[in-house]
Amino acid sequence: MPPRYLAAGLALAALAAPASARPVSYEGGWTLMQENNGMYSSVHAHYSPTATDSIGLYVEQNWDMDQTFTGLQYNRLVRRWNAPDSQGNLYFKLGAGAVDPFEDGETELGSFAGVAADWETRRVFVSYDVRASDFGADESLSHAARLGVAPYVAEFGELHTWAMVQVENHPEADKPVTVTPLLRFFKGPLLVEAGYTLEEEEFLLNWTWRF
Amino acid sequence: MKLLKTLALAAALSTAPLAALASPETSTMAEPAPGEILMAKVNGLVCDFCAQSIRKIVGKDEAVQKVYVDLSKGQVRVDLKPGKSLDDAALEKLIRKAGYSLVSVDRNVAK
Repeated sequence: MPPRYLAAGLALAALAAPASARPVSYEGGWTLMQENNGMYSSVHAHYSPTATDSIGLYVEQNWDMDQTFTGLQYNRLVRRWNAPDSQGNLYFKLGAGAVDPFEDGETELGSFAGVAADWETRRVFVSYDVRASDFGADESLSHAARLGVAPYVAEFGELHTWAMVQVENHPEADKPVTVTPLLRFFKGPLLVEAGYTLEEEEFLLNWTWRF
Repeated sequence: MKLLKTLALAAALSTAPLAALASPETSTMAEPAPGEILMAKVNGLVCDFCAQSIRKIVGKDEAVQKVYVDLSKGQVRVDLKPGKSLDDAALEKLIRKAGYSLVSVDRNVAK
């Protein structure tokens, strides 16, 4: 495998949860989140004992690198700004577990820490994530930002649609900046996102189920 | 005399159904009074996850019969069970558990 693809794979693997959905639910709520972008897939199943904390399993598979991370992820809602027509959030994320770098059965300790912020109205969405990770042989810092617009305003229970653009930065990657236009569909407890990363020529498919 | 008593009883019996029709509220089968309706103004309601959180948490309270969320107005309507009550402090606590901020509560809102 060419080094540039190796670097790109490692950098993408470092990005666990690129601003797709809020990682903390209501008190007693469960959430399942899955993300797939062609380079890696991840699953995060978490429980919120309070409205400001969640903890759960996080598994990430990097398909190019044959690398798997399996561990626990804790999410803390540090601050929420509830306004009449908007909501803003600041999150802290921490993960620790085992990394199997080449799926050869030899695992290493891996960990990551991240900060995420988002702000949205019923028409506009912006978010930013930064994450530092140490996955054994790979240490990286990655960023992701999103801008979204809702073409119409839907009521609770109706289909909500968002047009979004996600920009990611992986300084170590061969293509350090990638752009992914995507559509978000949101109805009741289910959120689904579909997009296409232009530089990598890969499809993105994410979903979140909250219950 | 016996004839007079019989006529009076017959007259009373014949007018009883008419009286019942004229004033149905006197029926002993009246429905119980409906529960109180609260209309809460809540900040931070921008998406379906928000509405779902409010419905799950507020709807779990034993006093609550039904919860409606209006995202456009930022309002939560809480229908209480007949004979039950939910004070402002308790409602504020439930809204906070869901992750949102209670601004005000209007009580005895007409359906």
